[in-house]
Amino acid sequence: MPNQYHEAERAIAGTGMGGTMDLGVDEAETLGKRPGPDGGGPQEPPRSLWSDAWRDLRRNPVFIVSALVICFLVLISLWPSAIASGSPLTCDLSKAQQGSQSGHPFGFDGQGCDVYTRTVYGARTSVAVGVLATLGVTVLGSVLGALAGFFGGVWDSVLSRITDVFFAIPVVLGGLVLLSVITSNTIWPVIGFIVLLGWPQISRIARGAVITAKQNDYVQAARALGASHSRLVLRHIAPNAVAPVIVVATIALGTYIALEATLSYLGVGLKPPSVSWGIDISAASPYIRNAPHALLWPSGALAITVLAFIMLGDAVRDALDPKLR
Amino acid sequence: MGRYVVRRLLQMIPVFIGATLLIFLMVNVMGDPIAGLCGERRCDPATAARLEHEFGLDEPVWQQYLTYMGNVFTGDFGTAFNGQEVTELMSTAFPVTIRLTLIAILFEVVIGVTLGVVTGLRRGRPVDTGVLLFTLVVISVPTFVTGLLLQLLLGVKWGWIRPSVSSEAPFDELILPGLVLASVSLAYVTRLTRTSIAENRRSDYVRTAVAKGLPRHRVVVRHLLRNSLIPVVTFIGADIGFLMGGAIVTERIFNIHGVGYQLYQGILRQNTQTVVGFVTVLVLVFLVANLVVDLLYAVLDPRIRYA
Amino acid sequence: MLLEVRDLHVEFHTRDGVAKAVNGVGYRVDEGETLAVLGESGSGKSVTAQAIMGILDVPPGRVTGGEVVFQGRDLLTLKEDERRRIRGAEMAMIFQDALSSLNPVLTVGDQLGEMFTVHRGMSRKQARAEAVELMDRVRIPAARERVGQYPHQFSGGMRQRIMIAMALALEPALIIADEPTTALDVTVQAQVMELLAELRREYRMGLVLITHDLGVVADVADRIAVMYAGRIVESAPVHDIYKAPAHPYTRGLLDSIPRLDRKGQELYAIKGLPPNLMSIPPGCAFHPRCPLARDVCRTDEPPLYQVSATRGSACHFWRECLDD
Repeated sequence: MPNQYHEAERAIAGTGMGGTMDLGVDEAETLGKRPGPDGGGPQEPPRSLWSDAWRDLRRNPVFIVSALVICFLVLISLWPSAIASGSPLTCDLSKAQQGSQSGHPFGFDGQGCDVYTRTVYGARTSVAVGVLATLGVTVLGSVLGALAGFFGGVWDSVLSRITDVFFAIPVVLGGLVLLSVITSNTIWPVIGFIVLLGWPQISRIARGAVITAKQNDYVQAARALGASHSRLVLRHIAPNAVAPVIVVATIALGTYIALEATLSYLGVGLKPPSVSWGIDISAASPYIRNAPHALLWPSGALAITVLAFIMLGDAVRDALDPKLR
Repeated sequence: MGRYVVRRLLQMIPVFIGATLLIFLMVNVMGDPIAGLCGERRCDPATAARLEHEFGLDEPVWQQYLTYMGNVFTGDFGTAFNGQEVTELMSTAFPVTIRLTLIAILFEVVIGVTLGVVTGLRRGRPVDTGVLLFTLVVISVPTFVTGLLLQLLLGVKWGWIRPSVSSEAPFDELILPGLVLASVSLAYVTRLTRTSIAENRRSDYVRTAVAKGLPRHRVVVRHLLRNSLIPVVTFIGADIGFLMGGAIVTERIFNIHGVGYQLYQGILRQNTQTVVGFVTVLVLVFLVANLVVDLLYAVLDPRIRYA
Repeated sequence: MLLEVRDLHVEFHTRDGVAKAVNGVGYRVDEGETLAVLGESGSGKSVTAQAIMGILDVPPGRVTGGEVVFQGRDLLTLKEDERRRIRGAEMAMIFQDALSSLNPVLTVGDQLGEMFTVHRGMSRKQARAEAVELMDRVRIPAARERVGQYPHQFSGGMRQRIMIAMALALEPALIIADEPTTALDVTVQAQVMELLAELRREYRMGLVLITHDLGVVADVADRIAVMYAGRIVESAPVHDIYKAPAHPYTRGLLDSIPRLDRKGQELYAIKGLPPNLMSIPPGCAFHPRCPLARDVCRTDEPPLYQVSATRGSACHFWRECLDD
């Protein structure tokens, strides 16, 4: 997997997302205060960027489908036993590689474990890694990026250089090197690694949003009126950085799930007895000729999960980006 | 321009040092560099001490790093623990990965740009929606899944290609792996081209070109494409470094003995010299590719002047 | 007669509904005549021009009715390729913002020369020579040296001269200038306007000058057409309008020009805002802002009344307006 989330970031930056998002945010500020854009016409209620975006999203089938998929994933992550009665770790070698049969719709893998149960339980791992890593990346990235953007100068240069260093290390490679020496069986090393390499992506966006916001007249005015640093950041600048960060974080969540699976596939992410789609896909690949079902089901689940998050982020971005209307 | 290049080269130094140092620390401090030397068992303390001394591992880490970098700049990447020169490994691995990367870039340019132009010009039509959804799917499905599935379908089920690549890795055997390696970038190139075309299509200068009475193909090729492809060219340029570093998964699936394969083996066997050497070269490739992209910008867009 | 627009209708289909940008516009331009089209932004003056040139964004824009007769042919019935040959060669357009209207990555020489290679089949070398001559003619100093430069290397005034040169290149019969001086500094505005007027006289071209600046109009225009909400509300020779407007909207526009002899008085402004093109008021579109409005204005859309042989006004009460 060629560095999916770096590429996501580059592509987003390349499509002018930083700039456009800032535009969108500016518009939100002014639209909220002015009566409708066509003042002469019949009075429409004032619309903000957010309610406008929400109105768009509700009509967007891509958004609805991906949101439903994500809701479903979250529910089965919380209560996997609701739809899968067995345990993912109960395996029966005598059934190894057998196909679909009653009570076991997805068949059995190379160890004789029930593929259906393992696929359901795999969602929990993926969602947990995705959500926790995204939280970590967002918090760390926003804080560092906002500090660099707000104070500028030396802070900014140092952070930019550090960001460059992290961008210069291919993700999968870094994961292999760093995680190959860790023997923990929990999900924390993977999350820690993703946070370590993921924060520069968010920090760049937060930095950009803060710098743009800082130049806005009303922020200059607030500063001239003697607003304190913390007040400026929290009341005037942070709201503007929220939209772009949310969009990128949503898309990133999907790519983190893919990254975890990739690292697990390479044998350095999660390790058995953790239940992970990446592990199952890796374990199934030697039996690809005899038992392709053991490969296809977790692959499909993984693909749909990542797709749902990326499509959700994409839909939200389109809705928040007035330039595309 | 000259001064800009010098400045950029100087800026690259801390990034290069930072990235290589980071990898060096990861491998040497967190890992156990001599673990791979005694076979499956752990080394007994006496042997371990002797080996550590032999490889200079008892010196402080920063000194090890300096010694290593000093050697690198004289062309000595050290010796893998099995006695093979790292440079020798590189001379067999890099040509393979470069071929693979070239094929991937070719796919990005030919398929990605074409799809992007077609959809950008037909925004909102069924073709556009279809391609857009397809790119999302390609971006979402991890490369190792795409690779395994294509290998299963084309290699095992239908027998169109050999499921794994021979050790010489000629161009024709690398076509499918190249497509797999390119897939995600290809989807991004499509989307980037599409956005860029769709944005510029409404630009004032395209309207001027139409108002001048130019034929449609001339408006599209000379006025629209020329401007729209600037970000795409730079994306593809920067992608070279990413593709080479990201080939690990593809090379593993198709059993290609390139850079990714050597790195993977090196990491599994805790072969410090191999890992650090290959990563150092990859980081250099990445940095140089980015510099070239920046300079390319100035060539393509006359508004940009570097001082 | 060079150009006659008859009952032109243009709509824009957007997600929020249909915007009726042009609703039955009609005007004519004779050979060598200058028609100034006046109106606020959103009045449909630029959209009309784009429909004449055939450069509307389709979709969302769509010409839903009317005729554009140019040199005896209805352009709207021509095939796209025939229209293309007319664009640039027979009628040309000058845009407001020369910086964004010129291609940033091609030299001005390439962009000017393209007119000759495409329409006249000249070689690149000949086209280059023509480009230099054109730049000379619009008085760009050191044309031979600057022909290889890019648009961003020129000043705003010089860039607009390049736009003018591009429009003049093939000596078209009609030029449409869409706010050609709005983006320029005041001092440069006068120079560029003067150059445009002079070249127009020299080549005896018809000129449609789209503007919202009444000050510019008085010096160069022969006739004025005032647009509001996608219609012509008044059309008259320039001196008639300045003497006594026959439509309350024209009067409002004239009264809102700052004048030296009314120093110290409060500047007049037309109250309210232009209508939303998605829901144009019934009757006379101007009635919500009109000081003369009565009940009939709210229900009956006024036709373009014939005020004199050369003059029309779309106001039920044009007589009162004239007498005021």
